[in-house]
Amino acid sequence: MSNTGLADTPILRLEGIAKAYRGTPVLIDLDLEAAPSELTVVYGPPASGKSVLVRILTGLEHPDAGRITLRGQDITAEAPAERNIGYVPQSFALYPHLSVRANISYPLDLAGVPASESRAVVAEAAAMLKIEEHLDKKPDQLSGGQKQRVAIARGIAKRTDVFVLDDPLAGLDFKLREQLVDDLRGLNAATGASVLYMTSDVIEAMTLADSLAVLSAGSIVESGPPERLYRHPRAVATMALVGFPPANFLRGTLEHRGDDATCNTPLFRFSADIADNRASGDVIVGLRPERVHLSHGNGSTVGDSDGSITFPATVTLREDLGGEDIVYLDASGIPLAMVDRDHDRSTDLGDAVTVFIAPSQLTLFDATTGDRIGHGAHRPSPSAARRPPPASVAHHG
Amino acid sequence: MNAHPWRQRLYHLVLWVVALAFFMPVLWIFLAAFKSSGELVSPNPVFLFRPTMDNIIRVVQEPNFLDYLRMSFILSIGSVVIAIAVAFLAAYSFSRYRPTGTNFIMFLLLSTRMVPAPAVVLPIFLMYTALGWAKTFHGMILFYVMFSIPFSLWILKGFLDGVSLRYDETALVNGGSRLHTMFRVVLPQVKPGLVAAFIFNIIFVWNEFLFNYILGGQGTTMIPVLLATGVKQGGMTDWSFIAAISFIYMLPLILAIYVFQRYLLVGMTFGTVRGEV
Repeated sequence: MSNTGLADTPILRLEGIAKAYRGTPVLIDLDLEAAPSELTVVYGPPASGKSVLVRILTGLEHPDAGRITLRGQDITAEAPAERNIGYVPQSFALYPHLSVRANISYPLDLAGVPASESRAVVAEAAAMLKIEEHLDKKPDQLSGGQKQRVAIARGIAKRTDVFVLDDPLAGLDFKLREQLVDDLRGLNAATGASVLYMTSDVIEAMTLADSLAVLSAGSIVESGPPERLYRHPRAVATMALVGFPPANFLRGTLEHRGDDATCNTPLFRFSADIADNRASGDVIVGLRPERVHLSHGNGSTVGDSDGSITFPATVTLREDLGGEDIVYLDASGIPLAMVDRDHDRSTDLGDAVTVFIAPSQLTLFDATTGDRIGHGAHRPSPSAARRPPPASVAHHG
Repeated sequence: MNAHPWRQRLYHLVLWVVALAFFMPVLWIFLAAFKSSGELVSPNPVFLFRPTMDNIIRVVQEPNFLDYLRMSFILSIGSVVIAIAVAFLAAYSFSRYRPTGTNFIMFLLLSTRMVPAPAVVLPIFLMYTALGWAKTFHGMILFYVMFSIPFSLWILKGFLDGVSLRYDETALVNGGSRLHTMFRVVLPQVKPGLVAAFIFNIIFVWNEFLFNYILGGQGTTMIPVLLATGVKQGGMTDWSFIAAISFIYMLPLILAIYVFQRYLLVGMTFGTVRGEV
């Protein structure tokens, strides 16, 4: 299902895109590729530059620098109409004076497609999105979810092979989002079109994406299959953004002694496998909340025999998500989040607990560049656990 | 709600009395149009009288009246329609492209409508004389176009600002031209604004006296000038004549206002209060 797009010639490629408004850079040296017939999701937090990216893709704005190649053609200077991109805007932007049917057939009418032909396309799109019974209504007679379906139908009715969807499910209720995510997946599979999908919802992004591109602070920090981005992020921003609840980060320092590297954090110290034998220096240690475990009672009774790092903490908050809890911990002044699937402990607020972490679950990033440099190792280190935290505690995230 | 029905009825009564008091001058002139001149100028108001059509018939037979009335229609409707067409294009540009100083430019355009007409009648008269446009039809219609553009622009810009840019963008991305976007996508969504601008400006131009009197000539006179200048008969003010002209002249406008009054509100608020339309 997922491929990195390396084998195929990308249908869409953005290289070195830059855009600034009144001297404030919004997009900075942005590179992005979309493989044909894939669902490429651009995921970025609010204000990361998604909307500007969409405007540049569709031709509503031109980049200050960089090149856009679509279907092998340089389209950087082309007007929106020449690009032949199917577009679902974030706000539905359904034409209130037109019926639902006329809204959906709008791109076809503009292209001069004969009515007999467009009727069939409209019927097909409406059936796919289950809005057949609303075709003769006006948009203001529809609910929000129905409007969104009409907007999607209008986007996909266009005769083209490339679609840009700008956060089309934003603001819709949860159930409807799930339903529409399924619809969109099916749609992509059925039509074989290339879809570029913008979202600020990480779960939506991971569910939909064949290939996921993480947009942060105006550039794509990393892209690839969502599983890889989740499991083996190459950039600290990827680890911070991909995954829910968000990852924990600690500041640390890396020391090399011979072939061994050791990482010190305010909470614990551990051996590390470092890709290239880098010089010592500041690092950021990332840790997934799903990989944190805890036990009640006195942590000192638990040895280091299994190689786990242990340290004491206090439970400050539990959020019950039904199937699991998100537990917020205070470890010597450093906040940590974890996912707990054990429901019997729902009344442990304020309790002292012991935190367990497998060292291999710790990911190390260079504090300056944000690049991944290695991960924790199971090599036993004589004084690996339970170092008292130093007085001045710096933390991240 | 109905805890004090008598009190509520009293409020409503007061409301009706006040509203009718506001309507009295219009009612007076309407009734006067059907009175004989004796009844009309009688020191004791005559409420019961035999209506006569004599005044109306006399006015319609007046040689210039129908010409002036026709000119009122042509100048009002013609200039306001042209003004709205121009204002729509201008409002689209102001709303969509936001040129530097949009607010100040909009203020400048409205400035001639913010001062009393007599204050600007002289400079405009001098401009018109210099250009040779005084007493010409195109000069008169151009003046009313200019007179109607600012309010139309303000009203339409208010409406256009309420039409999300996403409509334009969706149209452009789907292959529409800019003209298509303006006239097929945006224009249909501001129809209430067009009606509001129309009715609002028609009221001004239809009743305009001063500029028509100063800038206009024999061929471009409208009824308000006739009302003010053509009413002496044998050294006396001919009130029956005034009343009859007024009745005929007010009728179309009052009907139009009544039919379009909800649009009038949005016109007065420059399109910012649009809930009703």
